Amino acid sequence: MTLDSCAARLAPSATQLFRLSAPTSEHFHVYETDVGSHVLLPDGNRIFDLDGETARELTALQGAPANAVVEYLSELGIDPLQLIDDEPIADPPVKALSLAVAQKCNLGCAYCYAQGGAFGGPSMAMPVETALRAVDMLFAEAIPGDRVNLAFMGGEPLIARQVIHEATKRAVQLARQMDVVATFSITTNGTLVTPADAEFFEAHGFAVTVSLDGVGQVHDLLRPSKGGQGSFDRIMARIQPLLGLQHSMQVSVRTTVTPTNLALKATLDYFVEAGFHSVGFSPLLNSPTGDGEMGHKHLELMLEQMVECGEEFERRMAAGDRYPFNNMVNAMREIHRGTHRPYPCGAGAGYLGVSASGDLSACHRFVGDEEGALGSVTSGIDRERQKRWLSERHVHRQEPCKSCWARHMCGGGCHHEVIHRGRPACDYIRGWLHYCLSAYSRLIAVRPDYFGQRATQILE
Amino acid sequence: MSEPIKARNLSAQLHYRAAGNPPTTLASSAISNCFPGLEFDLRNLWRRLFQGILLHEADNLVVAAEDPGFRKLVGHRLIFVEECPMFIELRGPTKPGGADVLLTGSGNGVAALEWSNAMASVLERFKGTKDKVRCRFTKNPAWNPIGPMESSSAQLMTVRMHLNNLFYTGPDGEQAVINDTVVLPGELTQSLCSPWQNDYRECACYYWAASRPDFVNVEQTGPGKGTGNNWLAKDVEHKEYVVDSAVNQSKLWTYDELFRDWQRRLSFIVGGRDAEE
Repeated sequence: MTLDSCAARLAPSATQLFRLSAPTSEHFHVYETDVGSHVLLPDGNRIFDLDGETARELTALQGAPANAVVEYLSELGIDPLQLIDDEPIADPPVKALSLAVAQKCNLGCAYCYAQGGAFGGPSMAMPVETALRAVDMLFAEAIPGDRVNLAFMGGEPLIARQVIHEATKRAVQLARQMDVVATFSITTNGTLVTPADAEFFEAHGFAVTVSLDGVGQVHDLLRPSKGGQGSFDRIMARIQPLLGLQHSMQVSVRTTVTPTNLALKATLDYFVEAGFHSVGFSPLLNSPTGDGEMGHKHLELMLEQMVECGEEFERRMAAGDRYPFNNMVNAMREIHRGTHRPYPCGAGAGYLGVSASGDLSACHRFVGDEEGALGSVTSGIDRERQKRWLSERHVHRQEPCKSCWARHMCGGGCHHEVIHRGRPACDYIRGWLHYCLSAYSRLIAVRPDYFGQRATQILE
Repeated sequence: MSEPIKARNLSAQLHYRAAGNPPTTLASSAISNCFPGLEFDLRNLWRRLFQGILLHEADNLVVAAEDPGFRKLVGHRLIFVEECPMFIELRGPTKPGGADVLLTGSGNGVAALEWSNAMASVLERFKGTKDKVRCRFTKNPAWNPIGPMESSSAQLMTVRMHLNNLFYTGPDGEQAVINDTVVLPGELTQSLCSPWQNDYRECACYYWAASRPDFVNVEQTGPGKGTGNNWLAKDVEHKEYVVDSAVNQSKLWTYDELFRDWQRRLSFIVGGRDAEE
């Protein structure tokens, strides 16, 4: 495939992607690209290129009993592996904590899961002692060579700048003492960032995520101050020192996509141009007020926008350029590795949220939410509750995930969204993954080096 | 495409067993999981630790210069890297209860240290830097081991050298994949035992023949039962297992026969059976 044929290919519509990605078999997903036929096997998320006849024969096995599929694959030399069984992971060590250092916020985004930053309760700030206890907990079971991540969230974490400094200092000290690699991240609305913050983040190699929901007025509409004023210009001015100082630090944009900010390509290009390390999009599926939630029609529009960004990614990659569209960068990496998992993320396992009062929860979204409560920094992880969580949240226990080809890629979807709203986005997720699989098969043919492979191994 | 399928992403490649290959060719069931040295000889990784020269895999000797600028080092010995010695004095008694003396019986009283231990601290210190490492070589060629007395400063010359990365660095940073510029194809296995060496035959449990099954042409005779041939049997027409014992030596290929003509005596085994010519 050449760069020209890349450009000439018509991008599939969302409707086509919904149809092409429909869950027709739990054992395999055959897909076609202009470089050939391919199959994804959920068992290990293994990808094989197929000749036309094999693709036709396999497709004919949709709906066939499991043993017929296993037998056919065995004849091809593909053994069943059952790389993910039904067993929940047991007593996982803590590898990452996110500290809700300030359960308050100066913005008043209507859709926020934290409901104005305070999670539906009174505004709170995390005492330094609580933060230090959490850091100690993060390192308690670490062994030399381990990697741990300390994340600061809120509310708006920079309201509690001193707590961030103290906790980081303790983590740096423990990491040095214990020969552990500590990484740091922060998710901020960007309104309170100072030049001194930029230097602090750079000094400790922070991954900084700034929540920006679009350009100018679009952002202002979704992320106003509590008094109703726009915040975009202020944020962009405030974060300039960060953008100019990205050596060990990375500054990325996270855009929460609602029905009012669906112009993703323009948003992506604007922020890439502005100097951000990467830009990622996530649909709003669940908001406490119902405000801004995406319905099926909106997700269809979003998918077309995502594909438009993806096509640009493919064009740039084929030309040997960089295009930091985070969703695509991550998808290419995970698809190439064949990452397969029984959960959508580490929530409730290696990753826990810590509330301002020191309660542990499955993740930063479950602060103050009994559904995801998992102990406290003083009493430790409630292992019984964690066991139940990991058992109940296993993707093999989810419906309709059990019979979906994408189950070990998607992991069943964000626990917080699923528990509070269900699974309204399966078509969107499958459609996007189908597009990403096709893009992977096209890209590895023209840019094997991007995946760390030699051209000679790929281009027979 | 000539094959009906081709493993494309990493998980597919990792678990794919090509037609005719035994289960031991998979990373998850390979013999190296129990006995790493039987599959690869990782000493070969260290031969190109320094840019421009090729070291012996088991000796502190420069065997070749890949950068012509270092030709003068061929045949010289690497005695110190930074402050770390690349050899150890061999001391001990020569008879029970004897005095602790320098053992000069072989090797001039020294033994070259195994590279991964000798170089570990240097690698740790210089990893990720562009700094050159201070290496001290013998001033003169020294094809035989140099004793501790002869490794005095006056006999040494200092050359500063760049380190190679032993691991591949990709878009995600350093990975657990060997850097393919440090070992060329075939080098990781080149110092393993070979059919023309004694240990191919000598290892009592035939581990060395791991990639060639030691029980071949097997036919199932009942649940959990089978009959077949010893891989060394001269007569493979009869499905009878010949035990490798003193009385049966005439029924098995001898060392001499294998050394001289192993490629004609032993067939390739495909699907557990001797392949047709």
